Amino acid sequence: MRIIKAVGNPNLIPEVSKVLNEGGLIIYPTETLYGAGVDATNIIAVKKLTAYKNRPLGKPYSIAVKDTKMAKVYGSLNKTALGIFNQFLPGPLTVIVNGKHKLAKGVESEDGKIGIRVPDYEFVNKLLEDFGKPITATSANASYKKRPYKISDILNNLSDKQKKLIDLIIDAGTLPTRDPSTVIDTTLDEPVTLRQGEIKFSENNQILSTGEENTQNLAKEIWQKNEVYLGIRSIVFALQGEMGAGKTQFTKGLAKAMGISELVTSPTFAIENEYESIENKLYHFDAWRLEKSGELKELGFDALIKQKSVISVEWADRVADVIREYDDEAVVIWVRIEFGKEENERVITWGNL
Amino acid sequence: MKILAIDTSCDETSAAVTDGIKVLSNTIWSQATAHAKFGGVMPSLAKRMHEERIDWVIQKALTSAKSNIQDIDAVAVTIGPGLSIALGVGIAMAKELAIKHNIKMIAINHLEGHLLSPIADIERPLSALRFPAIGLVISGGNTMLVKIIKIGTYEVVAQTTDDALGEALDKAARMIGLGYPGGAVLEKIAKGGDLKAYTLPVPISGQEKRQIFTYSGLKTAYSRLVEAEKPLNKMKIQNLAACFQDVAFRHLTRVLEYYLSHSQFKIKNIFVGGGVSANIEIRKRLRRLCDVHSVEVFFPKSKKLYGDNAAMIGVAAYFKAKAGQFQNPNSMDRDPRAKLSN
Repeated sequence: MRIIKAVGNPNLIPEVSKVLNEGGLIIYPTETLYGAGVDATNIIAVKKLTAYKNRPLGKPYSIAVKDTKMAKVYGSLNKTALGIFNQFLPGPLTVIVNGKHKLAKGVESEDGKIGIRVPDYEFVNKLLEDFGKPITATSANASYKKRPYKISDILNNLSDKQKKLIDLIIDAGTLPTRDPSTVIDTTLDEPVTLRQGEIKFSENNQILSTGEENTQNLAKEIWQKNEVYLGIRSIVFALQGEMGAGKTQFTKGLAKAMGISELVTSPTFAIENEYESIENKLYHFDAWRLEKSGELKELGFDALIKQKSVISVEWADRVADVIREYDDEAVVIWVRIEFGKEENERVITWGNL
Repeated sequence: MKILAIDTSCDETSAAVTDGIKVLSNTIWSQATAHAKFGGVMPSLAKRMHEERIDWVIQKALTSAKSNIQDIDAVAVTIGPGLSIALGVGIAMAKELAIKHNIKMIAINHLEGHLLSPIADIERPLSALRFPAIGLVISGGNTMLVKIIKIGTYEVVAQTTDDALGEALDKAARMIGLGYPGGAVLEKIAKGGDLKAYTLPVPISGQEKRQIFTYSGLKTAYSRLVEAEKPLNKMKIQNLAACFQDVAFRHLTRVLEYYLSHSQFKIKNIFVGGGVSANIEIRKRLRRLCDVHSVEVFFPKSKKLYGDNAAMIGVAAYFKAKAGQFQNPNSMDRDPRAKLSN
């Protein structure tokens, strides 16, 4: 493991390219956080990365490319994807498209999709230009560990075994703390935000609900857009809003959309309710009475995520740090419900706020 | 028949010894003060505290009843509804006792306990009670109106579609700065308040035939009112508390009144249980309503029988034992979402 400074090194780019060409693993700065990079077309290098990340097999990696042209070599960009590329990239955005299966095994998802980034960071752009191939763009922390904004964030959380897998660290000091990239899936009929970072798609992801029925219908719509992940990843609806805003109403709509006919009531007292239909099961949590966010884990949240469960969490802001630990593993949809001008009106925003 | 009953459904660790419908002891160790330190509840802490205290609580219940474990004919335990990891503690303990001392075991639904709590220590002979009767459970976890066809056979008539009454009162208290859970404080504060100070909507007013309880709309209207009234002063807090409690209770009695006046059968007895029934104002209103309809209303005999307690579990278990409904300890499991009708 070697550490070199990002500044004052005229040979920096070729040196890093060389490590990548030899199948090496690098830790590199980006505009959002430190990433772990390998040659995304080299299967041995990707395996090394998986060992480093301590990740379950079958979880895909995003890739960083230089521009739209390079993106087109590895993924099929439909109209929606092209629109997003032209409008928002380069920038802190990951676009999910159907892959062309030209990358090393394990980079694309099991159903052949690929997440593509065009970073807006000079060092990475120069590197991609010189290297000429995509590199993986996953964060440099091991799974479930702190998001890395400085090198010590990473090293303090690694085992010696993991450290040995790193070939080169490019140290750019402490990066400004920014949200992770926004993730947009363009392979569905309408683009769906999987994780909202700095780029906000608020015009698509905000509605004015005029009543309980409206709120329930919205829940149904959001469910239908995410239903594709059922059985593939855990789906978490993280609900925020003042008392009486309609978090339980939203969950009622969700349950209905899932084909559950059981009565959905506030779980404030019991903290967790479970409902089921023949094919679906919904876990309904309420963090209002929980004093410490870690308590959510005491209630078996971790196991539910691993079982790819559908979960709704009221007062999710109170346990946000625990939910965020599962950003990689689960599809987390943050829903914020605010009071509107009229008595029954609610402004509902979803994505990641 | 002596029964040792255990309830660890939420924040209270409780054990009791009952003989038929007579309560010989009813020991309750509340965790409320421990949780109040944190301002909420910590499930892992609740579980640990149940584990730490259950031996002591059971021993105390036996000693107070001048009994020892050899005198016990059956051990009864709450299997739900409640906080999942807390329920497990009581069940594990009951299983251990049943197996060790070769005692029969009875599984009890916590709601049935509340429903039958007015029968504990009742002075008249059971044969004087009139069935079908109706039961009303009003607590922090539940609000339901039940037709008691006979003891052990129930039909839910109406239940909350969102918050429980006790939960709504607790939340209303929290919104005006009375802490959580503050339902009991709200009752005290409400006494000095003016019911006409504000107009809040009575839930499903005029549509009582839907036979549901719902507090979400009231909660929303109230939260907007509280926002509009800020900054709050003592008078405003009193009036807000009084108006919320008044409307919440009016909804309850209106749904009940609809049932009383439309019931297919002649209702003679109504049993009311659960923590909220300790509220003097609601007792007054229910008595008044029942007088008008010539229905006799029964509340629990003692303060301890209102909230979560094991004596009511023992009473419910007595009827199960009479019907020969025992459970194999090895097949007994918690059921956090247990329903009443089965």
